[in-house]
Amino acid sequence: MSPRLRRSLWIALLLTPALLLIVAFVTLPILSAFVYAFYKWQGLARVGFAGFDNFRLILFQPPFSTWTYNAFFHNVIVFVALMVVQNGTAFFLAWMLSKGLRLHRFHQVSLFLPVILSTVIIGFLWKLFLNPLFGLVNRTLIAIGLDSWAQPWLGQPSTALASLIVVNAWHWVGFPTLVYLAAMQRIPREILESAEIDGAGEWTRLRRIVWPLVAPATTIVVMLTFIGSFNWFELPYIMSGLEGPPFHSTDVLGLYFYRTAFGTVSAGLQDFGRGSALAVLIFLFILGISAWWVRLLRRREIDL
Amino acid sequence: MLKPWQAALYQALLLMTTLVMLYPVVVMVLSAFKSTGEIYDSPFALPDSFALKNLATIWRETRFLAYLGNSLLVTASSIALMLASGTLAAYAIARYAFRGNEAIFLFFLAGLMVPLKLAVIPLFIELRALGLIDNRLGLVLVYAAMGLPSTVFIMTGFLRTIPAELEEAARIDGASEGRILLRIMLPLSRPALVIAGIHNAVPIWNDFFFPLVLIQSDHAKTLPQGLTVFMGEYSTDWGVLFAGLTLSALPLTLIYIALSRQFIAGLTSGAVKG
Amino acid sequence: MNKLSRLGAALALAVSAAAPAFAAELTFWSWRQEDRAAYQEIIADFNKLHPDVKIKFEAFEPTSYNTILSTALAGGKGPDLIQARAYGGLEAFAKPGYFLALDKATVPELDNFAPDVLAAETMREDGKVYAVPFATQTVLILYNKEIFQKNGVNPPENWDDMIAAAKALKAKGVMPFANGTATAWQNEILMGAFTPSIYGPAFNSDLVAGKATFEDKRFVDALGKLVELKEHLPQGFTGVDYPTMQQLFISGRAAMIAAGSFEIANFRKQNPKLEIGVIPGPAAAKGGPRLVSLFVDGGYAINAKTEHKADAIKFIRYVATPRFGELFSARLGNISPIKGVKIEDGLLADVAKLNASSAPYVMLVNFRYQEPTGSMLIQSGVQKMMAGQATPAEVGSEVTKGIAAYHKPFQK
Repeated sequence: MSPRLRRSLWIALLLTPALLLIVAFVTLPILSAFVYAFYKWQGLARVGFAGFDNFRLILFQPPFSTWTYNAFFHNVIVFVALMVVQNGTAFFLAWMLSKGLRLHRFHQVSLFLPVILSTVIIGFLWKLFLNPLFGLVNRTLIAIGLDSWAQPWLGQPSTALASLIVVNAWHWVGFPTLVYLAAMQRIPREILESAEIDGAGEWTRLRRIVWPLVAPATTIVVMLTFIGSFNWFELPYIMSGLEGPPFHSTDVLGLYFYRTAFGTVSAGLQDFGRGSALAVLIFLFILGISAWWVRLLRRREIDL
Repeated sequence: MLKPWQAALYQALLLMTTLVMLYPVVVMVLSAFKSTGEIYDSPFALPDSFALKNLATIWRETRFLAYLGNSLLVTASSIALMLASGTLAAYAIARYAFRGNEAIFLFFLAGLMVPLKLAVIPLFIELRALGLIDNRLGLVLVYAAMGLPSTVFIMTGFLRTIPAELEEAARIDGASEGRILLRIMLPLSRPALVIAGIHNAVPIWNDFFFPLVLIQSDHAKTLPQGLTVFMGEYSTDWGVLFAGLTLSALPLTLIYIALSRQFIAGLTSGAVKG
Repeated sequence: MNKLSRLGAALALAVSAAAPAFAAELTFWSWRQEDRAAYQEIIADFNKLHPDVKIKFEAFEPTSYNTILSTALAGGKGPDLIQARAYGGLEAFAKPGYFLALDKATVPELDNFAPDVLAAETMREDGKVYAVPFATQTVLILYNKEIFQKNGVNPPENWDDMIAAAKALKAKGVMPFANGTATAWQNEILMGAFTPSIYGPAFNSDLVAGKATFEDKRFVDALGKLVELKEHLPQGFTGVDYPTMQQLFISGRAAMIAAGSFEIANFRKQNPKLEIGVIPGPAAAKGGPRLVSLFVDGGYAINAKTEHKADAIKFIRYVATPRFGELFSARLGNISPIKGVKIEDGLLADVAKLNASSAPYVMLVNFRYQEPTGSMLIQSGVQKMMAGQATPAEVGSEVTKGIAAYHKPFQK
């Protein structure tokens, strides 16, 4: 065997296991989803070609299409709200943590604690806390004399999605906080100090120096929040249920996809065709936006 | 420098935030020792006693231990498979120049952006064809594949930083390629392996979606999925529910408290530079 | 030859002796994890008649049962015996040919069932029966006898009675109803418990005959009555989910609950001291008809690909006998639809009596065969209406419009 061949074989050997795994369990399933979306399904069996019928139902045939747009709209709300509530909080928390105050390490560890816990645990915990009659949240409000603030949080459309968003923010806020913190710690001290000497206050420094300098961190945070928001499933599944109650006010694409594909016990039937079509659309949307975003950033980097 | 009042303000805000983060966890743990009546009637008080009644119920009447065992088995096996195959691939990409090198790297990276949840229908059908539905091995393969992009990313980045002299010196000494990999590169990569491991182990340990679809028999369920069974069965006994949540959160929380630095570094790697 | 025949005899003996040990073991799947012990008893009883047939009972989580089952069956595997659902839930499995069709030649005991009960386990296309029904469920109102007595309230017969009773209870600090609307399917239960007595039996036959839709005044008015219940539901009822409402009734905090009869066994187990009474939804006016909603819970089916067909049929014939029905009712607290089954339990006997004047649990029985299902539509419709965000007429027309997608008579 020539050394060249040996070397090629060696490289192939190194690459094969990983390539096999990823092709078999990531690439192939994703490509298949595109194919499946064009078929009619009965249970787990393909029973005929459907053309664009599954897509037509999802996009143009009420009530299916109504559900699609409703869920999509909620995903957008979740994304925007998390950007403000979760990541905005994270930015300021990171700034305060970056000061190296006493206990800052303890604060960091506490903030990050929920991040390591399963969404199932977090979801159930808060579901119990938000129970209208026996839950901690309403009991606390009543205990401090704010009886009228006590609400059936998960039971009314005005508060249900908001409650889920707040719980999600509670769960994950530690993550963007530490991403921002790391970015802030990389800002050269001299820059901040010279700004201070020039008389810039905390707010001005945050706005004029810190915010632009942590832009790469913001990019990553926005990206992860975007993907997370459009993949949102576990928390609403545990806390409100597959139907996105009350009356679809917490319905998001993840729930809608799951109940279309796999059905529900007490109401819905299973349909892999419409499910796959929905998956394909969500997938293209996420990919499209991500690609657009990456291109935009590249261009901006060049401008800089 | 912060003015004293600013420092005090920041400290107060941070303390408040920490309270908001920790208080629910504390209530969860305290409630684990209460009866349902106690939780309803005196939600804020300490439990009447730290009796282990609720915990004992879980121990005796549910498959908590089996779920825990499954989670351990699945997480450990998938991380092992992922690190082994991922490191080999990263090694090829990082240390050898060959045609298609960049393309293969990008192919792996593309996986970072792909929400695999959306491919669950074909995945389900594929695993059924392989006889791996309701089988922990099916989960292991899916998780290992899912973790590969980040592993390849982290490991390639790290392996590229190892100076070429080390390798060349070994080659001059007549070491085989395999030997260089095992004896020189792997020991040096340990910190990166830890990062890649934690980065994926926590999400795998916590995952609920894939077991929900791929695992069906009670005996093969992982902890998060087992927890939903349990929450359904004991839905009216809040003391036991809180005890179940506490017990489920316990293993990872303890490890986290001991290794918080590694956890934070591992989970934020990729999102944090350096 | 002699030697050979002796050897043969010895072999036959050995085989027959070993038979019990090597007997085929049938697997039996169910979604009733909580019924494991009862099914072991049932299997033991079956084994008194057929000691040679071993059956292994396996139960799965209800929410993923359908997926589990269809996965196994589509892979050509799966259990020999299957607890199946009824109506659309049955067709989903019978249509792809996963279940063995049953007829009176193989299972003469099918005669033990009334035609409308068998209809629930029949595929509409071919008119064949695919499962032996195991229980009917009744949607009605359960009340706490002790609370009623203590507060001097009598079980209400008509709507005004009921509102008066609810007010009286509330004045004494008792929650009249435990029901909440946070869990989607509980809204359908709410509808099933109260509306049939209001819209009456004629509406249902018109509906089935294609002469009426859910925009019909009778149905819309009945929905309107539900809205009147709002002030008698728990505070924040829109956020009260299924476990919480169960807890409210079990713990004696609420006097009544609109529920399925399947709750009875569970409620009693959780609070053995609870004295439960049953009433149908109150009549619209004094002396009017009072109807409960009735549906077939499910049935037992045979895997079409079973390797133990003969043994499986033995079990299916057994579960169609009154002997099984009585054990089933006694042990699981559910009402067996098998003719001639005597129900010992007083409360269940009361429910069975109410079943005599019933309406079908309308969405499940008629409109849960295709997407969007009537159940899905009415669940979120009632939820919306109870939250004050839709009128009964809007709900009626939304449901009709949704079902019209596949139901000819609803298409204008």
